[in-house]
Amino acid sequence: MELLTLFFILLIAAGLGLLIQWLPLRRQPMPTYPQRAPFLGGGLPETHAWSRFHVRYYPMTLLLIAFEMEMMFMYPWAVVFVEQGMKAVMEMGMFLAILSVGIVYGWREGVFKWQ
Amino acid sequence: MAVSWLSRLAAQSSVPVFPVRGIQGEAALHRLTLTPGVELVDSPRHASILLVAGGVPPDQHDALRRVHDQLPNPFATLWYRSEPLAELASATRVDDPDALPGTLMTAHQELMRGKRGSSPRLLPDEPPNPWEGLGDDGHGGEGMMGGVPYGRPMAMNMHDDIRDGLTLDSLTVTLGPFLPMLPPGLGAKVTLQGDLVQSWITQHAPYPIALESVFLEAREHPVPIAELELARARYHLQRLAFALRLAGLERLALESLRLAQGLSPDSRLEGLRRRLTRCGFFRLTTTGRGWLDETLARRVGGVAARAAGLEEDLRSQDAAYGRLKFTPVVQSDGDTNARWCQTLAEIEQSLQLARQAEREGLYSETTEAIETPRGPWGEQRPGDASGVIDDLLPGLEWDEAMTTLASLDLAAVSEWPQDVTQELGEAPGDGADAAEERRA
Repeated sequence: MELLTLFFILLIAAGLGLLIQWLPLRRQPMPTYPQRAPFLGGGLPETHAWSRFHVRYYPMTLLLIAFEMEMMFMYPWAVVFVEQGMKAVMEMGMFLAILSVGIVYGWREGVFKWQ
Repeated sequence: MAVSWLSRLAAQSSVPVFPVRGIQGEAALHRLTLTPGVELVDSPRHASILLVAGGVPPDQHDALRRVHDQLPNPFATLWYRSEPLAELASATRVDDPDALPGTLMTAHQELMRGKRGSSPRLLPDEPPNPWEGLGDDGHGGEGMMGGVPYGRPMAMNMHDDIRDGLTLDSLTVTLGPFLPMLPPGLGAKVTLQGDLVQSWITQHAPYPIALESVFLEAREHPVPIAELELARARYHLQRLAFALRLAGLERLALESLRLAQGLSPDSRLEGLRRRLTRCGFFRLTTTGRGWLDETLARRVGGVAARAAGLEEDLRSQDAAYGRLKFTPVVQSDGDTNARWCQTLAEIEQSLQLARQAEREGLYSETTEAIETPRGPWGEQRPGDASGVIDDLLPGLEWDEAMTTLASLDLAAVSEWPQDVTQELGEAPGDGADAAEERRA
């Protein structure tokens, strides 16, 4: 019964949402084809815009390791940090120094540049 | 009820205008940029009024029709010193720059209140390339990439990548002549691979620019140097404003235009320069890109030549400038950043010369050879140099290509001064001639 009520609520909510979207648009025709063409300052595209674009997964993966994975190791480290004291700080410092070499390398290669 | 209330509210808002920058329309657009209540937008999709400022050569009327049809309904057109297209015989034409803002606002209000019908669509409402429902995915062919959906071939990785070996599909588009980020009138066929410019073929040369009348007078008789130098500084400030707007620094662009509008020998550039440094404008361009060698720099002339270290300035030949102890400023790098440093240095120098010349009441003496802000005008006017970008832009990323393009002043100088009411759309247009020459 409760499930049915929830279902009706969902139906009414979705119906209302669609109605609100449909009402103002009901008498408007689709924009014309020339209006829908991409704006190129009067020019026309020659090829279709369905072009494959490389996301460059490899640098993304390296960045994930450089920024996220070190955080993962820092959680257990934080637990034993008080027991171990200075030794833990030194070890984590070395670990972060090695990882930051990767970040500096990535920076030099321009992976942080928004493209 | 609600709709009428909304449309009344819309009528009170600022007027979104898409400017089509034609031949000799720039001066009016600079004034319009500073007019409150008028907003110049960069895409016809954001506009409710299409303003054709200046003449458009007949061979570009098709491109103009395409831009016209990209405005959303309802919209109006306004023609400033330009002959409306034959289909739009009843369109409003304005020739007086002072009446332009008022006419724009009236047209917008009438449009929003429904007192004025929308401009008719000029192109037939049919798909440019009809859908071909062939193949497994309706892509019009066999195999994954074998189709021509909507009649256009799929982008393919036909070219080797010239950046890092990661080949992407290359996309070929025809840009311009009315793209706001390009110089007015410049049209090009561009192949992009991702954001990398793979090839750039200039198809239409930019429209000739109209200089202020004082430069044309200086070719005929001596003119006050103060006036000449102020006009020069104004020209460079307006170019700077264009680049700043392109870089997304809208407020600085307005400031630069405002400085240009109220320019006097007592104006100071330090404030603007400080803000430019602070907002990172010079850092945007310090990529060492857009480097011109000596031959290319000489071909472009003017600021670009001096930014590449060539000490060429016709003002040094003028005895009156000699009395002002004029020596040309030069940079050495010849890249985009050097050109902007050079532009700012020249504005400062011009203001200083104007101050000195006004105090001493000096007039220019040489009329055979004058240095226009666009370049040297000796035996002939500075000509179109848009050919240099075909070799310069490939290999640059899109943002670098656009900042490089904005830093270069490539258009020829028009034979008409800025203020004359001249019908260039119908008369043998300078732009049409230049375009013909390029194609030949």
